[in-house]
Amino acid sequence: MNEMQFGNKVRQVLNRGLTGVQPATAERLRAARERALTRQRTELSPAMAWADNLLGRVGGWGGAAWRILVPLAMLVLAVVGLQYWQQNQRIAEIEEIDAQLLSDDLPIDAYLDRGFQNWLKQRGEQ
Amino acid sequence: MVPSAAKQHRPGRGSTLASRSELSAFLESVERRAFKQAVYAVREQEAALDIVQDAMLRLAEKYGQRPAGELPMLFHRIMQNAIRDWYRRQKVRSLWITLLSSLSPGRDDEGDDPLETFEAPDGSNPQAPGSELERAQVLEIIEQEISRLPERQREAFLMRYWEELDVAETARRMGCSEGSVKTHCSRAAHALAAALKARGVAP
Repeated sequence: MNEMQFGNKVRQVLNRGLTGVQPATAERLRAARERALTRQRTELSPAMAWADNLLGRVGGWGGAAWRILVPLAMLVLAVVGLQYWQQNQRIAEIEEIDAQLLSDDLPIDAYLDRGFQNWLKQRGEQ
Repeated sequence: MVPSAAKQHRPGRGSTLASRSELSAFLESVERRAFKQAVYAVREQEAALDIVQDAMLRLAEKYGQRPAGELPMLFHRIMQNAIRDWYRRQKVRSLWITLLSSLSPGRDDEGDDPLETFEAPDGSNPQAPGSELERAQVLEIIEQEISRLPERQREAFLMRYWEELDVAETARRMGCSEGSVKTHCSRAAHALAAALKARGVAP
């Protein structure tokens, strides 16, 4: 008898065993099946459906990749946004100092500075 | 891009989601065999039931939307993972039992294999050939011997000969090469045949 024939005979015996499953066990299996079916998500929420459609056009990514990429993208955007904001803060501080410099009166000592007087004269001649 | 309303089936992506009736039909078709396979692996009816119940839930919750054609392999993988988890927990349990039993001397060994205590029918005094009782005995013996196979050999053998999958599909589900599948099947068949012969069962 070759392996295939042997396997076939074993299958016949095992299939008999299937019909011999105790009724109580069969009932519990059926109940488990029903319970599992109630947990099946057959409808996506609108947001997921939209995202899924979007990916359908982009092509090829599974939902799992999407769930990593979206938070990752948001993280990147947050970091970029933070840096941009910080940069703006620094610029604003510098602007304020510049404005004060430009609007303040000259310190008295500047009038005493010879180099400054010469520079003013030069500028006046231009 | 216009957001689309939630739909039950979206044929545009080339494969439909499994509907409730498809999942139901699939589970119904495999639940008994899955239960039996779990029993062969863990040798306990209650544990086997738990494994199958958990596997069904996990399939429905996590993969209930996969195309129906993917359900068999997914369910197989879930079952195998659950069985391996069970083995790991058993190892931890056995370790504790061993430690505790070493503290109290004189206890019986609790590691008896329940199958060993089963008294196999004497093959030299067969019942009337083809009788219900004889066939039940043959079934019990074959199930016991299948239980004794190494895990991978049993997995390959049952997929090839009980589920009637081809070598390629078996290899795919087991995550191994086709050569490995053939080796597992061949060893399992030889071991099984030898064991049955030793117990007086002639298929």
